[in-house]
Amino acid sequence: MTIEIPKEKYTGAVREVTLGATADEGGTRAHTLTIGGESTLPYLQFEGTIPNRPALALEIRDRKPDDWSPLLLQAWGEAMDDPGEWAKAAEAAGADLIYMVLSLTDADGEPNTPEYARAAVRKVLDATSLPMAVVGPGQAEIDNELIVPVAEEAEGERLLLGICEEKNYRTIVAAALAHNHLVQSKTPMDVNLSKQLVILIHDMGLPLERIVMDPTTGALGYGIEYGYSVMERLRLAALGGDQMTQQPMLVNPGEEAWRVKEAKVGEGVPENWGDWERRALDWEAVTAIALVHSGANMLVLRHPETLRRVRSVLDDLLGSQS
Amino acid sequence: MSRYIATRAIRGANAIVHEADLMLQRAMEEKGPDTPVAFPNTAYYLPFILGMTGREVSKIGELPPVLEHAKSLLHPVPPDARWTPYLGETLDSGMATLFAEEIIMALKFVYGLQPEPMPGLELAGSTSFTSPDNGGGPSADGHLNGPIDDIQLRSWGIQLVDGRMPGFAAIVGCAKSNEVAVKIVRELQRRNILTFLIGNVNGRSIIHQLVEEGVELGYDTYTVPFGTDTISAIYPLGFATRSALTFGGMKGGQARDILLYNKNRVFAFVLALGEVDDLKYATAAGAINFGFPVIADTIIPEILPTGVTDYEHVISMPFNEIEGADDLERAERLVQKCIEVRGVKVQITEVPVPVPYGSAFEGEVVRRADMQVEFGGKNSRAYEYLRMVDLDEIEDGKIELIGSDFDTVEEGGYMDMGILVEVAGRKMEKDFEPVLERQIHYFINGASGVQHIGQRDIAWIRISKGAAEKGFNLKHFGDILYARFHGDFGTIVDKVQVKIFTEPEVYAEWLEKARAAYDERNVRIGTMTDESVDQFYSCTLCQSFAPDHVCIISPERLGLCGAYNWLDCKASFQINPTGPNQPIIKGDISDQDKGYFSGVNEYAVSASHGSVNEVAVYSIMENPMTACGCFECIAMLIPEANGIMIVSREDTSMTPAGMTFSTLAGVAGGGLQTPGVMGHGKFYITSPKFISADGGFKRVVWLSSILKEQMADQLKEVAEREGDPDLIDKIADETVCTDVEGLLKHLQEKGHPALEMEPMM
Repeated sequence: MTIEIPKEKYTGAVREVTLGATADEGGTRAHTLTIGGESTLPYLQFEGTIPNRPALALEIRDRKPDDWSPLLLQAWGEAMDDPGEWAKAAEAAGADLIYMVLSLTDADGEPNTPEYARAAVRKVLDATSLPMAVVGPGQAEIDNELIVPVAEEAEGERLLLGICEEKNYRTIVAAALAHNHLVQSKTPMDVNLSKQLVILIHDMGLPLERIVMDPTTGALGYGIEYGYSVMERLRLAALGGDQMTQQPMLVNPGEEAWRVKEAKVGEGVPENWGDWERRALDWEAVTAIALVHSGANMLVLRHPETLRRVRSVLDDLLGSQS
Repeated sequence: MSRYIATRAIRGANAIVHEADLMLQRAMEEKGPDTPVAFPNTAYYLPFILGMTGREVSKIGELPPVLEHAKSLLHPVPPDARWTPYLGETLDSGMATLFAEEIIMALKFVYGLQPEPMPGLELAGSTSFTSPDNGGGPSADGHLNGPIDDIQLRSWGIQLVDGRMPGFAAIVGCAKSNEVAVKIVRELQRRNILTFLIGNVNGRSIIHQLVEEGVELGYDTYTVPFGTDTISAIYPLGFATRSALTFGGMKGGQARDILLYNKNRVFAFVLALGEVDDLKYATAAGAINFGFPVIADTIIPEILPTGVTDYEHVISMPFNEIEGADDLERAERLVQKCIEVRGVKVQITEVPVPVPYGSAFEGEVVRRADMQVEFGGKNSRAYEYLRMVDLDEIEDGKIELIGSDFDTVEEGGYMDMGILVEVAGRKMEKDFEPVLERQIHYFINGASGVQHIGQRDIAWIRISKGAAEKGFNLKHFGDILYARFHGDFGTIVDKVQVKIFTEPEVYAEWLEKARAAYDERNVRIGTMTDESVDQFYSCTLCQSFAPDHVCIISPERLGLCGAYNWLDCKASFQINPTGPNQPIIKGDISDQDKGYFSGVNEYAVSASHGSVNEVAVYSIMENPMTACGCFECIAMLIPEANGIMIVSREDTSMTPAGMTFSTLAGVAGGGLQTPGVMGHGKFYITSPKFISADGGFKRVVWLSSILKEQMADQLKEVAEREGDPDLIDKIADETVCTDVEGLLKHLQEKGHPALEMEPMM
């Protein structure tokens, strides 16, 4: 007896968004990176198409961070002392793109400067030919002050710039408009706010093909189920044909996982928590893999080993990449 | 449309196109068609020509077709006797003028006549020109700026697009005096408005005036001197064209889109100082195509109807007739008028008071012992009244204290006080008055050391000793309200002024007026029915918690949280057009009694993501409205009593339904339709549309006593409206019974009408 598998018919699809520009397109990247485009829920290939694999980004900073776990410092070693070297190491670790976060201050606690940010981005662009995202430290005024010169420095490279939030998006969007880049929008786990910010950014004249949305998530055990539910609803709305929810989704499991106690703390925890490094890596990987299943199109990770593990899960889901 | 303006603009256009023609012929002969033409440091060729026609002009030989196009836009000057609409012809002439002006400037560059020399002038930041006069090197000195380069375009463009810079002003001509010229520029700088300087009157330009007064000009001071002739007006319009190409993602040739982009997004205006000649009229007609209005400080005919520009096209404000003590005040008013006509919004980021300010201080309590002074409460009275007035009746930012400040009363004392907030705005509506007035509570509470309770004429404000020591005084209420109304309601409010009354006679006079207005508003709200409007509003604010829930808010049914009524939603939509309150056109009414509207159903389907297909706005039994979880009350069917009970969220007791409020909330919330259960706002109980499909208020058999107390007066009125003045007594509450047996006994004893009504199920 044959059993017919019931199939859902969707009217919409996720929008395809392409980052980076090759020499032909006015940039210097070796290749571009396209995400999104699926016309079905995550990994239900029998129902629709999934033309692009989720992109795996490794996060780097413009200088060695003060507050990262010793486990991460160990993994990246001396490469962290120079953003260019770090980017090269990330490329060697298999990243699809470099996700660079600018620091709030320099190592002495003095405010970061546009000149420094510009030079650090230049270094990374010269050191690697991967597509790149650059986001500010997360304080509106300083983000704007740093991202505008970065946008100018990387003219033509089609960077992903961020982070656009409801209270501060106009300057970053204007910089993306002026220098032909893309933006990352971010809203606190709410379908309508996600959608509204995409509308507001689009209203400023930025094409939807240049917006990636970050619905915000939590780490494993710290609200990931809430994040999952928001992503699921955004995706159902997108497939249902709601234009303003069809942006590919970016999530940052690296940042989320590495700030929870289970990953961060090596001492003074119950013995049955087991080996610290193994636990920390599992936390980032399980968080990331859950988000892959929630429909994430781009994941920002911190540990190179996590990237390897998530990559192997993607290979299982989609077949290994040729 | 003024025939006078049309005549002069058309005449000016004909003359300038002719001049461009002669210059072009001469250049073709003297320099040859292959000689390059370009503006310096731009990738946009000759930007206006590129934007409007898509032509990438780089050689003199490519200019003749552009000139031909300009000629094709010319029209004959209207004869004296004919009175027909001239707007189209005038706008065409404006475009022809701009083509001609750009051709002329391009050729002047070829002849080394641009940028215009001005010996001795040092610019604070400018386009770099490589010119033989500067020894072959770039120099910012000895000449005016000429066109803005692409680098500066992007840098300013970002600020114009993100709103830090509200817009730009093109000042053409010469001010009444040097003093006035400086004042005008300072007023614009103060508001972060980019200022472009152009043209002259009888050889004297505002540029000369500013240079004589030692005002620094250049990119760094946001004041750019383009040229002392009118033709250099093409530079700011080229800048505007490039803005659309750079930030609007448009391509050369998308003329209409580029012009609309400027109208909708670039807040620019032309300020014509001194006499307006034909060429200025023609150039101004060009600017109007961009949606940039023209304000003149001389007597010229006005073009008041709107259309191409958002508001008036041409405004005349003869300088000497402007109200004001002296020329400086007149200059200030003139700039204010320009800003109004273009709809440029004032941005205020900080609340200028001597105490910390922020929403964190909203809940702060000032105890009697810490109190410097109080207004309202037991010993005195305070009121607050916000009213809408015409734009002309108000001076933005004016804050007046009429009477003495509180330093005249002893520590811990009290006084009577009234606050009058007057607002004006092109999008303001009288109906928004109460919505804005309610904000006064939140705004004033944001100041540290200030406590605000109540509203209208039962306001009660305390100021702490600490705040008074830091210098907080009554005028600071005005500063707070001015800053916050602009900051939070800038989309509907253009101007705000505040008066504080402590002088007894003025205080009493305005208290009368305020009370008359409160009464009028009560009547207005009371008479607003669902039938009297075409649209309801949605509220999806709670979808973060209840993803499939949507509130439908009508004049007679406020939001279930009690926080949003129909007018609030209307104002909220004006302020935030992409926000959670969207208008819902009622559409076809398939059942007026139950409240079935096609528009409501369509909206519910999409906003609930398909989980709700129909809503009966006035029924609890059939397709009732869903609820999130924020409801003030839950109504639930009690089948045995043939009626409903209503439990308040403040009531923790057991109910005849066998469940407490918190247990019931699980049944009522979550965006599910459960016939017989409904969450709602407490004031919905008094609405004539309260479950009107199921028999209305007479179905209420049990009501939390706290609601009976809080709403005693209103409920009494409802009982009378229902023709049963003793009805409230017949309704049980938790002090009478918390089970069905007790309820039925009570209803029978009292003779509650629900028992006699037709069965609910």
